[in-house]
Order: sequence, then structure tokens, then C-alpha cells
Amino acid sequence: MKVEWRTVLGASVFLGATALLYWALVYAHGHPTEAAGITALVFSFAAYFMLFGYLVLQYIKRRRIPRPEDRFDATQADGAGEVGWFPAASIWPAGMGLGMVIGAVGAVWGVWYLIVGGIIFVGAVIGFVAEVEAEPE
Amino acid sequence: MHAPTRLLASQFGSPHGVTAQDSYVRLLWHLAFYFALPLGLIVLGGIAWCLVRYRAKPGSERRASQFQYHIPIEAAYTIIPLIIVAVIFGFMFNAENHVDRVSRAPAVKITVEGFQWGWRFVYPNGHQEIGTVANALNINSMKNLPVLYMPAGETVQFTLKSDDVVHTFYVRDWLWQRDLIPGVHNVADIDVKNPGIYDGQCNNICGQYHAYMRFLVDVMPVKQYKAWYAHQAANSITTAGVTVSS
Amino acid sequence: MTVIQEPPGREYRPAEPQLFEIVPGPRPHGLVKYLTSTDHKQIGINYMVTAFIGFLFAGLLAEGIRTQLIVPNNNFVTENVFNQLFTMHGTIMLFVFLGPFGFAGLGNYFVPLMIGAPDMAFPRFNALSYWIYLGGFILMSAGFLTNNGAANFGWFGYAPLTSAIHSPGPGADLWIVGIALTGFSGIFTAVNIISTIFTLRAPGMVMFRMPIFVWNQMVTMFLILLAFPVLTAAMALLWIDRHLNGRFYDQTHGGQPILWQNLFWFFGHPEVYILALPYFGVVTEVLATNSKKPVFGYKGMIGATLSIGALSMGVWAHHMYTTGAVLLPFFAALSLLIAVPTGIKFFNWIGTMWRGTITLNTAMLYSIGFLTMFLFGGITGVMLAQPVLDFQLHNTYFVVGHFHYVMFGGSTFAGFAAIYHWFPKITGRKLHEGWGKLSFAIMYIGFNLTFFPMHPLGLRGMPRRIETYNAHMGWNFLNLLSSVGAYVLAMGVLITVWNIFRSYRKGEIAGDNPWDGQTLEWACSSPPPDHNFESLPPIRSERPVWDANHPDQLTEVGHR
Repeated sequence: MKVEWRTVLGASVFLGATALLYWALVYAHGHPTEAAGITALVFSFAAYFMLFGYLVLQYIKRRRIPRPEDRFDATQADGAGEVGWFPAASIWPAGMGLGMVIGAVGAVWGVWYLIVGGIIFVGAVIGFVAEVEAEPE
Repeated sequence: MHAPTRLLASQFGSPHGVTAQDSYVRLLWHLAFYFALPLGLIVLGGIAWCLVRYRAKPGSERRASQFQYHIPIEAAYTIIPLIIVAVIFGFMFNAENHVDRVSRAPAVKITVEGFQWGWRFVYPNGHQEIGTVANALNINSMKNLPVLYMPAGETVQFTLKSDDVVHTFYVRDWLWQRDLIPGVHNVADIDVKNPGIYDGQCNNICGQYHAYMRFLVDVMPVKQYKAWYAHQAANSITTAGVTVSS
Repeated sequence: MTVIQEPPGREYRPAEPQLFEIVPGPRPHGLVKYLTSTDHKQIGINYMVTAFIGFLFAGLLAEGIRTQLIVPNNNFVTENVFNQLFTMHGTIMLFVFLGPFGFAGLGNYFVPLMIGAPDMAFPRFNALSYWIYLGGFILMSAGFLTNNGAANFGWFGYAPLTSAIHSPGPGADLWIVGIALTGFSGIFTAVNIISTIFTLRAPGMVMFRMPIFVWNQMVTMFLILLAFPVLTAAMALLWIDRHLNGRFYDQTHGGQPILWQNLFWFFGHPEVYILALPYFGVVTEVLATNSKKPVFGYKGMIGATLSIGALSMGVWAHHMYTTGAVLLPFFAALSLLIAVPTGIKFFNWIGTMWRGTITLNTAMLYSIGFLTMFLFGGITGVMLAQPVLDFQLHNTYFVVGHFHYVMFGGSTFAGFAAIYHWFPKITGRKLHEGWGKLSFAIMYIGFNLTFFPMHPLGLRGMPRRIETYNAHMGWNFLNLLSSVGAYVLAMGVLITVWNIFRSYRKGEIAGDNPWDGQTLEWACSSPPPDHNFESLPPIRSERPVWDANHPDQLTEVGHR
């Protein structure tokens, strides 16, 4: 996990520093409309800092014990056991996508598409949840 | 001319500018080529050398060398480009300060206004030169285009305005352009050295007749310009291609 | 960072049987498979095929543009149609082809394979992101079927030209909605691939053993996470302006049109690297594989990718130098700095080939095409990064030439390299080398014939996006050359399309590892089975398959 959170922290620090430098320079002799860019940079910094916070919490929670994929000498046996559940084919993502796209058409041609798309989307989500419920833990 | 002089005089394909700012543009343009040509040749040469020299030949027992790092070389090609970039930036910074400088006391002030689709040039006494594509919707004709009259050899200050969409005030022989953005107050100085007639054109997509949104710049010797200007009544309007009876 | 170099085992060790759970039951085929699959490989193929269709469609639009401009005062299409052609050409190429082909298509298919993962972290989420991407593509193209036609204000749609007054009709709305959907799809994919890279690597696949391709994908995904939300927000504001009387970009009521430019380019410049970085990764892998060598300066390469990614977040306003409303030196400095890590990459690519044994197959030829063309585009990029030169060249054909050298000569050539390199892995059959080399040669000639004349055209002052031009401006011959080149280029592309159709049925059977590859995707069969790996070789360097196959040719330690 170390490389992961350090990379994200690095990105966050860079964005924060860029935002500060840019803000200082704009403050000295810039243009008022550049506030948009400063805001975007500050939010980018915050987004990555949040991701860094999550990763570092995970890292501490694991008592800083490296996972098999963090160890240079790990063998396949170290990764034994269940990696995760990978679902079989499912129609519900396509249903959700169809609902979202039809709903998006509502932004062009009116609210009826939004309602129809919404119904399809909600139906697909219900199907999706039912499918997940039926799966073994 | 011997080769180095010829290289220095070469424009690398760029036209000669006619403004006082031209020397800065030309300096940067040359600088870019002086760095780019040798660097580009080194890289292309390296690629070509690898392909020719290290190509796998049938029947050959030669094996690929499995090296991965060479710190001194890697450091060199990190630091040298950094220095080059710093040099370019230094020249650029200097040039930019000259090109973008706005005079407090320009000789002439002209407001340039772009609209869909045409140009309006407003002079200090309120005289307007207007032309719209409605009068010039023939791309092969240079008649009926709006004309911007201005003096040569003097600092002319443009205030650039637009009230509908974004346009760009672009004259190719000036090697220069500036946007006309609603809500942005834009002022720029230009000092054209050579009198003459120059082609101008809108350089930002502004709707259906963008391609037709052309104009001409008539740069006159100062005396001639003053005579022309004295001839224009305050708040009068000249519309290109349309005869207005008073 | 120490890399432990222990001799690898001679044989693949069998993996533990319970590595993942395989759902029993029949496997779907055909249309049902296409509609329901959550397998990252199937979704990757869906992305690549859809993106390639987008490429052909947008290419057709480009032929329309070049046909209109072949002679001055031409009347092949009307002004309005011409504006739609270049707008949708740009939009589809960027949002449907070049980005999704690289980060979603190649990313989906090869990132899990290269890190030894059985699938993506969120397979169903992954399927959803494909479907809304497809929906976005269909919706934005559907504009052509409406009465007023598709969007016609250029792919970066500067406000206030996009307002309800200046661009009425559903075409612009479809453009907004289509881009927003592909944007969401990109965000979903980014979340998915980052999670996959962070949590599903095989044991021993530490971060600093991941192939450069995976590193580049990861940085791309980080850029997407920052850039696409800003784009979607800008689109939402635009939609509110158009439909709910918003005033965000309306100067007459206190809005700021230039806000759009700031937001759009805050997305738009990282986007350029989103379109480039995956392809840098492709070229790195192809060069290393066909030189039979490790990537030279592996860590320097990663550092260069990370710094390109970081710097690209702070350069957006170099598209706005001529607005007179941005801080020029700041953006010029950062833009120029990007040349440094890009240069490092070039020298590392040369170092990767140096003293190798180079096989010049089609993928390698396309990669060489990438190197030479991208070099040219990079150099003109350094010129355009300087505000004073940009004042001359901005929005002229010089810029058009520049970014086509980067996006077509660079990224798209690398995309073709990826097709030729990985087609055997995806289908089990090789593409025909002879047709491939012919396609490359024609494309290379056609490409330069199309896009090189654009540089002198720009220097002679031809603005981009003009529908026609005066015959006495000195632009006629160069435009003719460029248009002829566009037809040649199209022929080259069609040869590869034919090659794909032909080889899909009749191509030479490839085997698991046709190019003597180095990274983990060559350890599984071609095409890979469900959940990818029956067994994994031990991972002791960034090229485990090579180590297992050539235990006597390990990476030299030293020189570090």
C-alpha cells in the first residue's frame, strides 16, 4: 500500500502547491476570471487528499503489514484463498445503462423520456439488487 | 551568402512580419529551430541507428543486451532539456513583455468590434467603418470588405470588443491576433512599420459565416492618415459596399 | 527501492485451485453474450470495436471536410453542414475513439491481464460504463438526424456561441448529453481500473514491477478523475443556460463567457494526456517486446509519466493565450516544462532499442511511425507553448497540423500498433503481416501528405474552421495536397480494416506467446479463458514471462 498512498499524496501536494503558486501570481498581477482555475485546482487537491486519507487509513488498519502484492518475494501460494466474487453474465448493467441513456434524452426532448428512463433504471436496479442478494456471500 | 548567415536570415517558412514587434517573434521562432533541429536530428538518428545496427538478422546468434539503467546518461537527458527550456523561457518572457506592452499615450486609439458577421472600427471622433458579410458574401471578391484605416510607424491602440460571440482579430502579416470576448476588456498596441494593405480575418469559429468574416487593413503614411482622418466627420458612418445618401 | 533479483523457477507453478470462484452453468454466446457479459475482456472488445466504428465514422466526416477544402470557393457542402462536420469529427474522435479505445478498450482488456488479476474490481459497474458510453456515442451522432443538424460550434464549443439564441435546436443538446454520458463512463472506468490496480494485483506484482503500460493507464485514470467531473459540470451549466434561463455564460446578465473556456480547458488539457498516455504505454511495451529487452530506465519512465500527469493539470490556459485574460508566464513555464519528461521518454525509448535484437513486425513499424511523428508534433508543441509565437499561430492550420501529428501520427499510430500487437492475444490469430506493412506504408505517406502541408498553411495565415477561402491567398496548392493525402490515408486505414476481417477468420494461428512477449498477458492462452489465468509464473521483475522463458537472459543488475 505504501507506493499507492505515496503516489496519491504526491499528486495531492503538487496540486495544492500549484494552486497556491497560481493564486499568489494571480493575486499579484492576474485577471479576475482566473478564480475559476484556482477553485478547480483547490478542489483537485482536496479530492486527492481525500483519496490519500482513505488509502492511508486502510494502510494503518492493516497494521502496515504488506499484502502479498506488496511483497517483492511473495509467491502464488501467499495469495491462496478466495480473491473475490466475480459475477457471471448479467443483463442488469445493460438495463441500467438503457434507463440512464433514455433518461438523458429527457434533457433534450422533455421530461417524458426522463420518466420512462427512470422507470427502466429503477427496475434494472431492483433486478440487480435481487441478483446480488441471490449470490453466495 | 555563406551557410550560417543564410541560416540566420532564413525564416523557416514563416512570413516576414511588418510590425515593430516582429523582431521578438522572429527571435523566438529562430530559437525554437536552433534547439529543435539538432535535438530532432539526434533523436531521429538514434532511432535510425538502432533500426539499422541492431536489427535481428536471420541466422545471427547475437543476443539482446539486457541492461536497464544508466544513471549518468539518464541524468544528462533530464538536466540538458531543463536548461534548454529555461533558456527558451527566459527569451520568451522578455519578448512577451515587449509584445504585450500597452502604452499610456498611444498616437491613435481605435475600437475594434466584431459581430455576427462583420466588423466595426470606431475612431476617437466617433467615425465608424462598418462592413458585414451581407455585403460581401462572395469569397473570391475583395470588394465590399470593411476597411480599417490606420497610420504607419505610430503606436495604435486597439480596444477589442464583442457583444455576441467570441471573435478573433487576426491579421496574418502582423504575426499577431487577439480575441474579442464578451465580458473581457482587451487592449493591445500595434505599431506597423510598413504602409500597405493587409488581409485580416476572424480567427475563431463564430457561426455560419465565419469564413466570410474578413476585413482589410489600410496602413497609410502618417500624413496621409491625418488627411483621411480630418476628412471624416464626427459620428459619421461608412458602410463597406453600401452607398449611404445623407 | 530495492529490486530483489532471485533466479526464477524454470516452470510455471500451478496456482492454488481456489484463486477465485467460477460460476457454474452454460456460457452465453452471440448477442446475449454481448448484452450480458461482465467479463473485462468482452467489455474491452466491445469498447475497442465501438471506438473503431467511431474512428471510421469520424474519419468519413474528415474526408468531407477535406473534400470541401480541396479547391477554393468550393460548394461541396453548405456552411452549416461544414460546421457540423468539423464539430462532430473532433467530438467523436476525442470522446468516442481515441480516449475510450486507449483507456477503456485497451485498459479493460490488458490491465487485469498484465497485473495477473482474474477480472476488474467491479465487473458489473464496468459493463454499465460501456453501455452509457455507447449511449453517448449514439446520442451525439443522432444530431445529424435532427432538423437543424448536429452541433456546429467546434468541439470546444465556446460560449456564448453555444447559447440557446446562437445555436438553437436539439443538435447542441444531444452534443451536451452525449459528452456528459461518455464523461460519466470515463469516470466509472477510472474508478474501476484504479481499484483493480490497487487491490487485485497478483502476489509479487509490486507497484514497481507493473508494466509501463499499466503505470500509464493508472496515471491516465487519475487525470480522468480530475478532468471529467469539471467537463460534466461545465456541460451541466451550459444545459441550465440553454433550458432554464441560467446566466453562467451570458455576459448580458452578469455571466462570464470566459468561464466556459477556463472550465473546458481545465478538462481539455488533461484530456490531451488522457488521449496520449495509454498509447505511450503501448509503444513502450511494443518496443521492449520486439527489441527483446527490458524497458530502459524503467523508473525514470514512471517518473516521467507521473510528472507529465502532474504538470498537465496546470497548463490548461495555454489554449487561451490570445484571450488576454490569463497569466501568460505561469502557463508558458509549465507548458514548456512538460517537454522535459516527454524528452526523457523519447531517450528511454531509444535506450530500449539500443543493443537489442529488433524484429520489424507491423506493430513495431507503427511504433516507429509513432516515434517519428510524435517527435515532430512535440517540437511544434514547444513552439506553440510560447505565448508570443502562439499569438501568430493560434487557431491557424499550424495548430491543426500540430495536434494531428500528436493525436493521429502519435496516438492513433500507436493504437494501430496495439491492434497488430495484441490481436493474436484477443482472437488467437495473427493479423496478416504483409497487408499490415502495406497499410502502414500507405498510412505513413498519406498522413504526412495530409498534415504536413497544414503547417505552412498556418504560417500563411489560413484560419482553422473556415468553410471556404479566397483563391488569391496562396493556400490553393497546399490544400489540394492535404486533401489528396486524406484520401490516401483513408485507403491505408481501410486496408487494416480488411486485414482485421480477413484475419479474424483465416489468420495464422498465433499460439499463446507469438512475439516472445515479456509481460503477464502472454502467460495465459490466446484468447484467455474466463478469469484469465490457469497458472502464473513467479513474478520477480517487471517481465515475469520473459524471466520464465529465458532464465539465462535476466535483466542485468548494475548501472543503477
